[in-house]
This record gives sequence, structure tokens and C-alpha cells, in this order.
Amino acid sequence: MKEAVTRVRLVYIGGAVGLLIGLAVILTVPVRLARGQEEVTSKIYRYRERVATGYYEGYEVSPRRARAILETPGIKRGLFPYGSSSAMVRIRARLPDSHKGLKFYYRNTCIECHPEQARNIHSVRAGITCRQCHGPEPIPAINHYYSAMNTIRRHSYVCAKCHEGATAAFASFYVHEPPAASLETRESFPALFYTYWGMLLLLVGTLAFFIPHSVMVGLRELSEHLSFSVPHTLMVGLRDVFKKLVFFMSHSFLAGFRKFSQKLSFFKPQNFLAGYRKLFKKKEAFKNETDNAP
Amino acid sequence: MLLKRFNRIQRLFHLFLIITFLIQAGTGFGRLFITTDFGRSLTSIFGGYETAIVVHFWVGILMMAGFTVHTIYLVTRINRRDLVNSILGPDSLVLGPQDAQHLFQRILWTMGFGSSPQLDRWAYWEKFDYWSVFWGLPLLAVTGIMLKFPLLTTLFLPGWALNISGLLHRAEAILAASYIFIVHFFIGHLRPASFPMNEAMFSGNVPLEEAVKEKPAWVERLRQEGRLLELMKVRPPALWYRVLYFVFGYTALGFGIYILINGIVYGRYIQLH
Ligand code: HEC
Ligand code: HEC
Ligand code: HEC
Repeated sequence: MKEAVTRVRLVYIGGAVGLLIGLAVILTVPVRLARGQEEVTSKIYRYRERVATGYYEGYEVSPRRARAILETPGIKRGLFPYGSSSAMVRIRARLPDSHKGLKFYYRNTCIECHPEQARNIHSVRAGITCRQCHGPEPIPAINHYYSAMNTIRRHSYVCAKCHEGATAAFASFYVHEPPAASLETRESFPALFYTYWGMLLLLVGTLAFFIPHSVMVGLRELSEHLSFSVPHTLMVGLRDVFKKLVFFMSHSFLAGFRKFSQKLSFFKPQNFLAGYRKLFKKKEAFKNETDNAP
Repeated sequence: MLLKRFNRIQRLFHLFLIITFLIQAGTGFGRLFITTDFGRSLTSIFGGYETAIVVHFWVGILMMAGFTVHTIYLVTRINRRDLVNSILGPDSLVLGPQDAQHLFQRILWTMGFGSSPQLDRWAYWEKFDYWSVFWGLPLLAVTGIMLKFPLLTTLFLPGWALNISGLLHRAEAILAASYIFIVHFFIGHLRPASFPMNEAMFSGNVPLEEAVKEKPAWVERLRQEGRLLELMKVRPPALWYRVLYFVFGYTALGFGIYILINGIVYGRYIQLH
């Protein structure tokens, strides 16, 4: 008996020492910073003194590779689809005043023209106004070079006003989260889209199983409490109905699944490859464009 | 004639989970619905929008501590001499192939085919109830800590991980709450066999005839092992205690159903995507 106790103690002490050693090993692993933290140097030197945030010397920190929102091929806004380069101009994404020349701008509130953007946690819950982030007139486009919202300096010029110590990776949070369920989000923010549908499937699956299960168990127990017996003919009829129901449900489920899999072009490798090639070409074109810029 | 089913520690764990879960549901859903009257009245119980998150955080920490203690307790329950039987045997909560068979048999039974399965100590729905906490709670804990310390999180992950963890936290909370408030409450309180209340989790005992009816294999096994009489040496709960747990149980039930119904009604007015 005593021997067993000492043996158990030995096991526990050995386990504890092992745990400590494991912890120590984990602590020696260097912290791998997020890709959003990588430092990039800009080729443009002549604006440095006007652009620099003051927090960094010879470089700026940009999270551009950690962006989850991909560029949507063939952007379409409003009635007309734009090519990617003309869209950049036409949708005011690079203007110093994104509302320049818009009619009735001064008679409206932000939310009347941008109702989707008002549905974010900062505005809805914390009651923060648009201008606390977007600043006074003129409101520059997000990607305008001098905009405080530019990812180069968003963390220090916007977020750090309230979130002390905000980093560039922190600022790559999507303040205006796209509606997670929509098919557009599948293109623009796939991680959010698939998380949403995955969780929804889990929720619906769990409840779709357990609610009928509970109801059926409840009914059966009720019938036992009331001690009524089901006549034989009714039983046979019910069995028939049940068989038909199972057949119908499995059939429509399979049909629906087939349709869904046809919709998801992801399931077809040739489509996926073609899309990838297209994206790659676009990136090349974009790179050439920016490299040739004055 | 009563049969002992839960010991004091197990009941304490369950009580702990009821209280912390309801507080988390109240503070969390109160904040989610803060743009509606429902959310405002719910958070006002916990001291308003700003205080509710403090309560939510600390009760969350408490829950994690309880979860850790419970996991340690669980590990100490494993009998090292008889490892296989204590993990896969009938007294264990681990899911096994016989549970799938019981499920199938029980569904057929509800439709009038065959007899109810010979359930042992834990029915498959009880096992599911138990293990769903094991993936729900860690997921909520991890995403919750990520949201609580966003600057720390973004040292390791890009910012959009916060969007994802916010979504996961919300979705898992809705899943857990709707499962508890619909399915678990129904099985525990409202189905005819256990109406008005399944007292096992509060008094620790089940009436013998109920056990024989629902868990025949368990009672049979106890008899063969000769432990039945020993487990039947329990006193019925005192009246004041019964009144107490009935009031408590129905308060918890009412609170859950209040959140459930208002959540469905006000769901359209959250104003987030
Ligand atoms: C008269 C309607 C109108 C009002 C009022 C208005 N906007 Fe805009 N806003 C627009 C239009 C149109 C665009 C260009 C749309 C586009 O690029 O898709 C735009 C673009 C923007 C952009 C740049 C988008 C980008 O892609 O870079 C921001 C930022 C912006 N608005 C913020 C605001 C804020 C903040 C307010 C309130 C002070 C406001 N807007 C009020 C119509 C309006
Ligand atoms: C917490 C700061 C913050 C607040 C408050 C805020 N925005 Fe933004 N807004 C941003 C950021 C950051 C972006 C860049 C896109 C992104 O990452 O979501 C942006 C982008 C935009 C855009 C460009 C289109 C898009 O969705 O990317 C528009 C338009 C806009 N905001 C309008 C508004 C309006 C209208 C309000 C007020 C209801 C508002 N914003 C409030 C931070 C904010
Ligand atoms: C005007 C002040 C202000 C600015 C500017 C601001 N925030 Fe916030 N932010 C808040 C407040 C207040 C909250 C808490 C909201 C709540 O709990 O309801 C918050 C919450 C958050 C959260 C959620 C954390 C959690 O616990 O869920 C994130 C992420 C966030 N902000 C990111 C940003 C980013 C990125 C920017 C810059 C684009 C930004 N914020 C700019 C005030 C601000």
C-alpha cells in the first residue's frame, strides 16, 4: 500500500516537472508577429516629411498583405460594371474629397447615403459618430494617399485616438464588416462567409435534429400517460406515410445538395484554376501600373 | 424508494454552471440587443451596458476556472487499475457505438416500432448535453479573450481575426443558449416523463420506478453487482430544500424562456449585419 502511494506520488511529481519543462520550452519559442506587422519601405521619398506619421523614421508599417478582403474581379457598383482600373477612378476610391461634386451632399446625413456603413459596432453600440473616425471636411477616400484612413497610417491617425497603442495589424480590423451571409462576401471576405455558414449549419443541424427528437419523445410519453392505444389500421397507415416522407426528404435533400454544389464553383477545379489565373494576371497588370507611376 | 444518481460535487458543478451560464446569457445578450428595449432592460439588471461587460468578463473567468476544476475532477474519476472499463464502460460518459444504436431504437420507439432501448446509466442525449459544454466553453473562452484583449491578439494575428472571433463568439452563444433553453429544458422539465421537474440534479436521487422504466440496464447492472441496496440508502430531500430548488429551477427556466422569446422577437432590431 505504502509503496503504491509513493509510486503515485512519483508519477505526479514526474508529471509536474514535465509540465514545467514543457512550459519553459514554449516560452523560449520567439513570438512570431503577424504578417500585418511587417515593415515595408516606400519607394517614394519626396513626400516623406509630409507623409510621415512621426512615429516611424525611415519606413512605415503597412498591413497590406494581411488584408482578408480580396479584390473583386469586375467590380460593379450601381448600374454599370467597371473594369478594375476605371473603377478605381469612377468610384472615388482615390479622391482627396470623396464627395466632390455630389449633389445634395450638404443636405443629407452620412447615414442617409451610406446606410450599410452605419451597421457597425462602433456606431450602433458605442454611439461613435462617423466623423470621429472619418474626420472633418473634406472626407478623403480611404485609399487617397494622404488620407488618415490610408492603411499606412490608419492605426496611428484614427484608431489610436481611442485604442491606445493600436498597431497596423489591429487597424486591419474591418470596422464596416460586410454582411456575413451574402454571396458577395464570399468573394470579398471568404473567411467570414464560411465561418458564418459553418456556424449556421451547426446551429440548424443541432436544432433540426433535437427539436423533432424532443417533440417525438414527448408525444410518445404523453400517449403512454394517457394510456390510449393506437388502432392497427392507423398504425399501418402511419407507417406508409412515414416511408413516403423519408423517401421524399432524402430525394429532395440529394437534389438540393446537387444544385448547391453546382452553384459553388469552388467544387469545380477547372473554374477555380481559371479564376486564379485571372486574378494573377490582374495582379501583374496592377503591379506594372504602379511601378510605372511617376 | 429512491436511487442515488448524483453526488454532492456533481450537483455543485451543475448548479455552478446554471448560475454562471445564465449570467453570461443575460449580460451577453443584453449587450447584443442593446439597441432595443429588451437589451436595455436586460443589461439594467447587471448595472448597464458598461458594467455588464465587466460582469461578463469576470464571470467568464470564473467559468473557465470551474471548467478547469471540473476537468481535473473528471481525470481523477478515471480508475487507473481498470482503465478500459472506466473510460469505455457503462458508467462513463464517453460516447460509444451502442449510443448510436440506442438513438436509432429510441426514434423507432417514438413512432411505435419496437420497445424503448435498454439504456444504461447515461442516455445518449445526456452524453451529448455533457460533451457539448466541452467544445462550447473553450471556443467561447478563446474568442472571448481575443475580443477582450484585441491589441494583444493582433500581435499574433491580423485584425480581421477579430471580426471572425466576434462572429464565432456570437454564433456559439446563440447555439448554446437555444440548445439549453429549448432542448435541455424540455428534456429536463417539460416532457411528460419528467414533468414538472427532473429533481435528480438537485436532490441527487431519482425515484426507483422512474429509473427502472427509463434506465432498466442500469438498475439491472446495479442489482447484479449487488450495489443496488447500497445506493438506495438515501433520505428523501427535506421539504424546504425541495421548495427551494423548485423555485430556483423555475426561475432559471423563466429567465431562459424570457431571453429566448425576446431574442426571437427583437432579433430584427440588432442593427448589425
Ligand atoms: C449625398 C449622399 C452622401 C452623403 C450625405 C455622404 N456621402 Fe459619402 N459618399 C457618397 C458617394 C456617392 C460616394 C462614392 C461612392 C463609392 O465610391 O462607392 C461616397 C464616398 C464616401 C467615402 C469614400 C469611399 C471609398 O471607397 O473610399 C467615405 C469615407 C464616405 N463617403 C464617408 C461619408 C461620411 C463620413 C459622410 C457623412 C459626413 C458621408 N460620406 C456623407 C455619398 C454621400
Ligand atoms: C471606428 C471608426 C469608424 C467609424 C465610426 C466609421 N467608419 Fe467608415 N470606415 C472606417 C474604416 C477603417 C474604413 C475602411 C474600410 C474598412 O476597413 O472597413 C471605413 C470605410 C468607410 C467607407 C468606404 C466603404 C467601405 O465600407 O469600405 C464608407 C462609405 C464609410 N466608411 C462611411 C462611414 C459612415 C457613413 C459612418 C457613420 C455611420 C462611418 N463610416 C463610421 C472607420 C470608421
Ligand atoms: C472615437 C473612439 C474610437 C475610435 C476612433 C476607434 N474606436 Fe474601436 N472602439 C471604440 C469603443 C468605445 C469600443 C467599444 C465598443 C463596445 O464595447 O460597445 C470599440 C471597440 C472596438 C473593437 C472591438 C473590441 C471588442 O471587445 O469587441 C475593435 C476590434 C475596434 N474597436 C477596432 C477599431 C479600429 C480598427 C479602429 C480604427 C479604424 C477603431 N476601433 C477606432 C472606440 C473607438
